[in-house]
Amino acid sequence: MSTRRRFDATVVRLATERLQAFTQANTNVQLAVLTSGDGFEVASYPSGRPSTAKVAAMGSSMQALSEALSREAGLSHARNLIIEGDSGSVLVLGLSGTSPQVSLAVVAAGSELLGRLLWASRNLCKELEAELTKTP
Amino acid sequence: MSAADELKIVFTGPMGAGKTTAITAVSDFAPVRTEVGNNDQESFAKASTTVALDLGQLGLDDGTIVRLYGTPGQDRFSFMWEILGRGAIGVILLLDGSSPDMCAHLRTYAEVFRRVAPEQPLLVGIGRTSPHDDRPLDACNAVLAEMGCSAPVLSVDVRRRDDVLLIVEILLAMLEARIAEVAHDVH
Repeated sequence: MSTRRRFDATVVRLATERLQAFTQANTNVQLAVLTSGDGFEVASYPSGRPSTAKVAAMGSSMQALSEALSREAGLSHARNLIIEGDSGSVLVLGLSGTSPQVSLAVVAAGSELLGRLLWASRNLCKELEAELTKTP
Repeated sequence: MSAADELKIVFTGPMGAGKTTAITAVSDFAPVRTEVGNNDQESFAKASTTVALDLGQLGLDDGTIVRLYGTPGQDRFSFMWEILGRGAIGVILLLDGSSPDMCAHLRTYAEVFRRVAPEQPLLVGIGRTSPHDDRPLDACNAVLAEMGCSAPVLSVDVRRRDDVLLIVEILLAMLEARIAEVAHDVH
């Protein structure tokens, strides 16, 4: 199933370039996926991994759950979700102001410092928000 | 409250079958929803879709709390079917009676939940049927018979609270009958 055809080709190309630059600058990042709110891969780097579609779907579910939990807890808006595993971490961050609604999932090896990864991922989100909101 | 006073029922079925509507119809509070914009208009033309879960609650007269969980419909979210199916005392499978894929959907979901919750009762509710047209129900009964799966098949309008309450009550009655059967076998 080609999910990328659902999204504007310019958006996919720009997002892929940003994800590639991010992954190359943060060498412990194993996978970065930009996913639509309803679980489709918009862009990813490296591309073509068998697990990417699952990470995209699960990332959107986790983002939606974290937002629902934040609402129930009276926290207003969920900024990011952090999963720390034995051998790495996964971050899911929602982007603001984009249409369609998208979130970023980042999978990193355990040697990556979590704070640094979070800082870099938030910067990537700001770049993507700027790109995606100005793309017609 | 003890765990015995709380029951978990799962509403599942394909996108657009009415799971969120059904839970909203009977929940004692506004359900927790995880709906987002739907980018897959080719599969189903609706504005929004559930991507994680719906969560509602129904209090029964005897004080029992029934937690109502709704699954996402699309198979890319099948990991949620397995997660939400764990610990469920019964499954309500909602189908669109006007869909040409109704029987395929029935097979898919019945197979998954028979594996995830093998001992739990399954009830099939079919929406968007024409009055006096039993063909969708007959088709579902035939599929279930082929699968060797025993489950009641009912026509249901998930917008109507009484309809949804009825299928929940039937599912709970099935559970009670099964418990009584097990107790009888033990003795």
